[in-house]
Amino acid sequence: MSRELNVEALARVEGDGGITVTLDGKKVKSVTLDVHEGPRLIEQLVKGMTPADDLNVVPRICAICTLSHRYAALRGLEKALGITPPEKTQLTRELMMLGENVESNSLHTFLLALPDFLGYPSAIAMLNDYGDDVKRALRLKKFGNHVMEVTSGRIVHGENPIIGGFGKYPSRKQLDEIRVKAQELVPDAVRDVELFASLEYPAYSEAPMVFMSVNAPKKKYGFAGDTILISNGKEVSCEDYKKLTNERVVPHSFAKRSLYGDKTFTVGANARMINMGKRLEGQAGDMFKEHYNDRWLKNPLYNNLAQAIEMLWSLEHLPDACEVVASLDDPKIEQPTRLTGSGTGAVEAPRGTLYHHYEIKDGLIDVADIITPTAQNLDDIELHMKLAAERMLAEGKSDPEVRLGLEMVARAYDPCISCATHLVRLKRV
Amino acid sequence: MHKLRDASGEAEAGLRAELESIAGQGRVYVLGLGYLDKADDGAGVLVAHALKKLFPSYSYSEHDGVEGTVLDISEKKEDATVFFVDAADLGEAPGTIRVVRKDEINDREITTHRVAVALMAAILERAGKRCGVICVQPGTVAFRAEVSGPVKEAIERLTVVLSHLMRIRD
Repeated sequence: MSRELNVEALARVEGDGGITVTLDGKKVKSVTLDVHEGPRLIEQLVKGMTPADDLNVVPRICAICTLSHRYAALRGLEKALGITPPEKTQLTRELMMLGENVESNSLHTFLLALPDFLGYPSAIAMLNDYGDDVKRALRLKKFGNHVMEVTSGRIVHGENPIIGGFGKYPSRKQLDEIRVKAQELVPDAVRDVELFASLEYPAYSEAPMVFMSVNAPKKKYGFAGDTILISNGKEVSCEDYKKLTNERVVPHSFAKRSLYGDKTFTVGANARMINMGKRLEGQAGDMFKEHYNDRWLKNPLYNNLAQAIEMLWSLEHLPDACEVVASLDDPKIEQPTRLTGSGTGAVEAPRGTLYHHYEIKDGLIDVADIITPTAQNLDDIELHMKLAAERMLAEGKSDPEVRLGLEMVARAYDPCISCATHLVRLKRV
Repeated sequence: MHKLRDASGEAEAGLRAELESIAGQGRVYVLGLGYLDKADDGAGVLVAHALKKLFPSYSYSEHDGVEGTVLDISEKKEDATVFFVDAADLGEAPGTIRVVRKDEINDREITTHRVAVALMAAILERAGKRCGVICVQPGTVAFRAEVSGPVKEAIERLTVVLSHLMRIRD
């Protein structure tokens, strides 16, 4: 007899999605992550706009990774316009990404993922027993927001980073405050890594995975790069992003899907750690070496621990980044050297690689193509949820246990469903 | 629970009385939530922006950072009440205002920022603060659309009622 096991509204993720498991007797026929959030047609909306106007629209895809969208757009647009941003501009952009990383990773690890591992229905329910941990997460998030505000002009949808530079660079005083506060928060982040390293990561969803991330320049760990590293050892120019992502539409989802060849793949903090983890320095590097093991290569749940380590790295990296930015004079805003061209920006949003590709003709956007991390991860999420469902049901787990197991897998990817539904072309027959 | 749709003085007096019954004798803070790019979804932020002109230290919006604001208020040694203002699908006519108490906001469907509000309210209550959520029924949440007429009116009414309460508790 066939039946369905549903998680109608997947809680503790950004956006509107659900999970459907279709069973034939005890056999799992399919597991789908259904995306209900409506498409927003952003790529069509920006066609014909100037690059500056595009930059005001595309970060609105998401209020959580707003600066990742802005940075990816800036990198793509500046390549298309023949602009090489000055060193201080590039470093200040790195600074804003560090802030967003702390803000987003603290929210996801503590308030969205942790309740599952500790057996609570939500962070609210955790308050009595883990009140200090929840408040620590909020302090980290507040600090991440502050870095975003200082660099981008506002906590959400800041418009200070512009094509060719910044409207205004952070002052020495602001940078000093960030430097001191980041140092103060490092012990909190260390404690967070210890907490996530102490958790038990169920093995139900384990299977070999393929990981992709940008290759940060100068053999450093980082959140932007012009080439993509694949865990099979290959490296591909980000301009060839379509060969890596091969987007397609599926009936049960408003978000597009991606495959690398015929394989699903993973983007996110775990991918960054696997591809660039050996480059981590400081306590983050030590803790990565201490806690990394082969299960990271097949278990998506380790993305939670990867995010905690990455948050520590961001806090440790911020003081030096502030020092360097403060030591440089404010450069003038670089102007376009051409009005027709194309370019692709690839950055690491907290939840994975984000591509913005632009073709500009006579100073106006002719083609815009945005591929979000969650759209790349969706097939991988479904694959690992199916494995988890099969193995948990074979072990006689109850329906509520299976539901929780699948939600943990989906949440581990830190999906942003709002981001993933920025465009689907509807075909009517 | 209070509903306010028509601009009658009686209805406004009812809303004022209900908010006063939630608030203690101490300071009243307002925290406006929402997304300005999605028309009526930004109602809470617009109320907070209007109140910020009158009470810059006691009115905050999503743009000030929700969690940081709540954390700061929770750590203050004062008697305080926080009213969250947010757009929410109440299934009623656009512009309808409904006041919801803390024990009702665990309902997942009550607000577009449901998890955040419920958690923030719980943190505030643990710190001895009072909370309430003021919901406004949106008419349109279309991307970059204009705020609808009924929600504009609701924003104005809420600004008047809340500014009165903030003044008498200041």
